[in-house]
Amino acid sequence: MSHTVSDSAMAVQIEGLAKNFGSVRALRGLDLSVPTGQVTGFLGPNGSGKTTTLRILLGLLRSDGGRVSLLGGDPWTDAVALHRRVAYVPGDVTLWPNLTGGEAIDILVRLSGSLDPKRKAVMLDRFDLDPTKKARAYSKGNRQKVALVAALASDAELLLLDEPTSGLDPLMEAAFTESIREVKAAGKSVLLSSHIFAEVERLADRVTIIRDGETVESGTIAELRHLTRTQVTTVIDAGAADLASLPGVHDFVVIDGRASFAVDDGAMPAVLAAVAALNPRSLVANPPSLEALFLRHYGSELAALAGGDHK
Amino acid sequence: MTALLPATAVDAPVGTGRQFDALAGVGTMVRLIVRRNRVRLAVWVVVLVGMFSYIASYYQTLFPTQQSLDDFAAVSNTPGIKALTGLSAAADTLGGAVWTKGWMTIAVSLAIGAAFLVTRAGRADEEAGRTELLRSRMLGLHSYATASWIVNGLLCLVVGAGIALASLASGLDPRGTGITGSLIFGASVAGVGLVGLGVGAVAGQVASTSRGANALASAVIVGFYVLRMVADLGNGALSWVSPIGWGQQMEPYAGNRWWPLALLVALTVALLAVAGLIETRRDHGSGLLAERPGPADAPRRLASPAGLGLRLQRGPMIGWTIAIVVSAMLFGSIVETMNTFLTDAGGPMTTLTRGVGINALLALLAGMIGLIAAVFATQSAVSLRTDEASGIVEAQLAGALSRTRWALERLLLPAIGSAVVLGLGGGLLGAVYGSTTGDPSQAVTMAGAAVAYWPAVMILVGIAVALLGWFPSVAIPVTWGALAAMWFATMLGEVFGLPTWLLDALPFSAVPYMPLEAMSWGPVAILTAVAGGLIWTGIFRFTRRDIRPG
Repeated sequence: MSHTVSDSAMAVQIEGLAKNFGSVRALRGLDLSVPTGQVTGFLGPNGSGKTTTLRILLGLLRSDGGRVSLLGGDPWTDAVALHRRVAYVPGDVTLWPNLTGGEAIDILVRLSGSLDPKRKAVMLDRFDLDPTKKARAYSKGNRQKVALVAALASDAELLLLDEPTSGLDPLMEAAFTESIREVKAAGKSVLLSSHIFAEVERLADRVTIIRDGETVESGTIAELRHLTRTQVTTVIDAGAADLASLPGVHDFVVIDGRASFAVDDGAMPAVLAAVAALNPRSLVANPPSLEALFLRHYGSELAALAGGDHK
Repeated sequence: MTALLPATAVDAPVGTGRQFDALAGVGTMVRLIVRRNRVRLAVWVVVLVGMFSYIASYYQTLFPTQQSLDDFAAVSNTPGIKALTGLSAAADTLGGAVWTKGWMTIAVSLAIGAAFLVTRAGRADEEAGRTELLRSRMLGLHSYATASWIVNGLLCLVVGAGIALASLASGLDPRGTGITGSLIFGASVAGVGLVGLGVGAVAGQVASTSRGANALASAVIVGFYVLRMVADLGNGALSWVSPIGWGQQMEPYAGNRWWPLALLVALTVALLAVAGLIETRRDHGSGLLAERPGPADAPRRLASPAGLGLRLQRGPMIGWTIAIVVSAMLFGSIVETMNTFLTDAGGPMTTLTRGVGINALLALLAGMIGLIAAVFATQSAVSLRTDEASGIVEAQLAGALSRTRWALERLLLPAIGSAVVLGLGGGLLGAVYGSTTGDPSQAVTMAGAAVAYWPAVMILVGIAVALLGWFPSVAIPVTWGALAAMWFATMLGEVFGLPTWLLDALPFSAVPYMPLEAMSWGPVAILTAVAGGLIWTGIFRFTRRDIRPG
């Protein structure tokens, strides 16, 4: 049973969340916070517990331990009242096969509050969705658009989005980006679960990375970048090998006079000074991407997969 | 897409061409269907053949002498027996007694089973998108359907053969008639089963959802049953309108006719040909009716669970209402025929006073309407779990809607709906019967007799809700199993030696048998309380557990 943590600055506050399905421990001490008015990215591979966390936040599942607060309330006991202020887009959208998309949107919006036909029309137009088609005739992307339009047309303070763009084409992803920026500008909060790094990097203020039901990394994008290494490639005529022994330099290789290495962010000034002293002909430094962060946490699994060891 | 490909890529010869036969891959599909349904197929064979064997051996010990068989034949010659199961043309033989008890149940069960198994491998897989994956491989257009017809056709043949063998083993053929009766019995069951297969095949092509296909197939088979019921109570001419009637006309152990089997097989072949033709003409994933654009907006009432449920279930609800109205009017119109029959006929009927005989028949027909209403209510009540399993309830519960309100509103549909169809069915039955005797008050009497079954119907709704709460993963099959078990216990309970107190306590037996019996509030109050308790415990648990899709 979860206990309520009250913090008005936080739209979502989760500490030490646990959930078991029989003998399977789906969540084992997950921490996550979504500050009010910000977009929080929620990254993790398939099966890491993202959807389970969202379903606990919606009161569909009951937690087995830890503290969960949703908009200052308990997501299990206060579900109905809280859901007036929350909109949800599931990762796999199931609709009523013999109702149209437009009907489904109206039903979903009205379940949480009142319907503003103007906003519905704007969103339908933005996502280029035909509301008169029966849901069973929709593709996965179009079913997802139905859920997105319903969420964006409602007046929710908090959007819970579970891989909302996994079926959308690039044009629609642009529409999605625009919409999320509007939501944020209106002071609303967003929890965006995803495994698309670029999307989270583009939209999120903060990121939480989970693995096997545990939080492994959490912070603002800037903070997380600080934890990683910048990739440097430079062309130096002579003496490049000396760089390899500098503190904070890793994975040093030279191919055709082109030296590549990773540098701890803290060691960057000293390394750059050393490079400058060697009269480099060119220098390229790439900031760490979220993808690199992600790979750092899942690198062992990826290596295991490459070795043919499938779980 | 095609426009981007050079024409030669489309027209290029691939392989021998034979691989693109409409029947390529049938063998693989047969193995797939057997693998997916091995338990179901085995259960159907064991239950149906076992039921036959059990009735045969029980009746052997129950009726050791010809005198006891003659007595039983006399007792069986009632409108009730004729209406429910039909009466064997050789009712005074052991085989005839077994036929009267078991043939109708076994044959109709096999027909419905074959129809459901065909839609399961056909429309249900197509709806789920599995067939698309299969068809992307080297699989002919008709291969999957044909494989399913082969497997289910074999099921019918195996059940028929098993019954013929069991009949031979029990020596049911009357002395001096050889083994023809046993073979005819098995063949008539298999033949009716095959027609069910054909009906399922066509229903799966016409309807665009598996639920719709099953509903359509059941409605057609129930229609066949009602037609033959009217025929068996009337002059018999209608018997030739119903394939189930053809099966009856094969008259095992009596007339021993083979030729109606040719009608059954011919109808099956015709139905399969129609199904194949539709499959050739239509697009994958679609039904016969093209998808039309619908409204872009929903009225406010759809946001309430009851309003949405009503909208989503309106097709089945209209279907069930029509079924009840048609059945009730047919029932009502035959009662007067029976009246004449009862006056004219001699034999055991004279021992019953005319009034009691008619009232017994009316009470039986009211019970039949109660049973149809129970199927409707069960279908509506299990949809709560269906919605949870498909994941669709999450979208609603993510809104400002409590689980209790969602469940209670949805339960208004079976609760109010069954009360309405009971009153409507009973009232129409009484009105049609009353119009033939100039007694309009029959409408009210019979409406009351049918509505008295409402608490019994709600027990099934209660079972569905209790299972939804406590055992969601098995809730749907067990709820339907409970309905089937009640039906079988009522029909065959005494054969299986179930104690009388248990049979009397079954919801449908506990209801006062009006108009034969007087209204009694005790059982009705108890049934209502039990139904309420079941619903309460189900919702109690449902609001406290995880939502579990799949």
